[in-house]
Amino acid sequence: MSQPAASIRKKPVSMKKAILRLLLYFVVLDVCVITLYPYFAMLCTALKNRVEIFSSNGTILPVTALWSNFIDIWSRAPMAKYMLNSVLIAGGSTIIAMLCGIPAAYALARMKFKGQTAFLGFVIVSQMFAPVVLLIGIYQVMQRLGLTDNILGLIFINAAFNQAFTIWLLRGTFMGISAEMEQAATIDGCTRVQSMMKVLLPVAAPGIVTTLIFIFINAWNEYTVALCLISTDEYKPLTVGINTFNGYNMIEWQYLFAASIFAIIPVVILFMCIEKNLVSGLASGGVKG
Amino acid sequence: MSTKTPAAPAKAPAKAGPRPSGSKRLFRKIEPYIWIAPSIILMAIFIVTPIFKVFQLSLSDVSRAGKIKGFNGIENFVKVLKSPAFGLVLKNTLVWTVAVVVLSTVLGFMLALVLNNQFRGRKAARAIVVFPWATTLVIQASAWNFIINKDYGTLNTLLMKIGLISAPVNWTPTPGAYFAWEIACGIFVTIPFVTFCVLSGLQSIDASYYEAATVDGAGYFQKLFSITLPLVKSSLTVSTVLNIIYVFNSFPIIWTMTKGDPANHTDTLVTYLYKLAFYNGKQGEASAVSVIGFMILLACASVYMIYTLRKGDEDL
Repeated sequence: MSQPAASIRKKPVSMKKAILRLLLYFVVLDVCVITLYPYFAMLCTALKNRVEIFSSNGTILPVTALWSNFIDIWSRAPMAKYMLNSVLIAGGSTIIAMLCGIPAAYALARMKFKGQTAFLGFVIVSQMFAPVVLLIGIYQVMQRLGLTDNILGLIFINAAFNQAFTIWLLRGTFMGISAEMEQAATIDGCTRVQSMMKVLLPVAAPGIVTTLIFIFINAWNEYTVALCLISTDEYKPLTVGINTFNGYNMIEWQYLFAASIFAIIPVVILFMCIEKNLVSGLASGGVKG
Repeated sequence: MSTKTPAAPAKAPAKAGPRPSGSKRLFRKIEPYIWIAPSIILMAIFIVTPIFKVFQLSLSDVSRAGKIKGFNGIENFVKVLKSPAFGLVLKNTLVWTVAVVVLSTVLGFMLALVLNNQFRGRKAARAIVVFPWATTLVIQASAWNFIINKDYGTLNTLLMKIGLISAPVNWTPTPGAYFAWEIACGIFVTIPFVTFCVLSGLQSIDASYYEAATVDGAGYFQKLFSITLPLVKSSLTVSTVLNIIYVFNSFPIIWTMTKGDPANHTDTLVTYLYKLAFYNGKQGEASAVSVIGFMILLACASVYMIYTLRKGDEDL
């Protein structure tokens, strides 16, 4: 393995490389096709009419694309309201989760204090209960606080249930970054808060952004608690709202999937915007800066 | 905000300054607790209090409306454990959790290694891979439910058009088959989470490690096991630990696809307790199921914590 016989091995290596390259593209292509298939099926179905969907002689692509399905859903259900609620819930949850999570992760990564292990243990244990398991308890607490049927209530619940993830991921990110630069900044007269904001956070940006995305997506996609706490149509997020098309007796697949696509698109677009930051590898840049 | 620290004394050039005064030393001692306070308060109100409520309900005689009528010891637990469906539900939960977590971790890690290569279309591929994660489970499960439907599902249509099958196939002839599809759906939506956790770890690895290893003549697998794996271990651990918890407690996929039917054959603990609480009005028993599930996870977590955190303390 460790023989430096580069000159002898040169040819087979490049041959191997070409094959690996081909294999790589093959794997990536397969993964992409399989991943996109449900979305392709949803889009095609959203463009069909009822008869075509339930026909035994099925089609893959719609015979005629019924784009009006995408317009109809806005009048058949208060979609705009649902959308706004989802934005408020996901955005609010992300902000609160980060405001609470960053300092906690920083303390865990950079300070030594009594009860550190206990706090970490508490963070893990707090996550053992999914909201669905605690639904009865959550409902009673929210009732006490007057936050049932309230978007603010959902924001707090989402932020709280995302704390463990925020803290774990950020702590890992912070610990992976040497504290030397922050110490240097402190010697130059920065306070702890300043050195964190100006030195650590920019370097930790890829990890922070990853965390942000995950919380936002989590909160946007939350379903069970919203279903339980929100009874007024006006406060429903998209995930709950689209079930208007999922009736007891029959499912309006074309409307359900048309609405679903609206629920999926914003999150995907948002992710694509931030994905560039992830790729640019700020961590290695931070060492030079 | 609680993150504020006294700015004034630190502003002065502190190079080799005098030892901190008494009040400053006291502040140093309590400072970490100020940093973690917001997080603690948030979790105390919205997670810990409901946990206490559930424990309380599990030991109580509870009315259908959720009012506590009195303490009744472990009666709820006895009822749950005696119920014939519970063994099946427990088995399903185990199969579901292990299958989804193991397979999605292995596949997700491999996918991360693939996507960490430089190739044309990498950005597009990464963006596509996150799709299942960016989609709410309810929608994803509805889509798969539609795809595998034996009467009008698009999988049959697709395979017939390609010519692989000549007549529609019933993809879900048995409850076990349906459960397998639910597991497949679970894996499908969990992979991106693992992949992106690992990718964020891979990105922070300095390329010079690999360059040095290559100069030393290390092969691909040598580099994988001696550089990549140790350095992404923390990312991988986080994703696995959280996945075990999330998958164990995952509700929407099974609820959307089968609701645990027929006769508890596809139920896991969470769907089972949901039915107990909101369909059968047995909130006490449902809370007991919650507590049992919690105990199982706690046992797993204890093993992990004893193993990892002890190591972590040595590193500090």
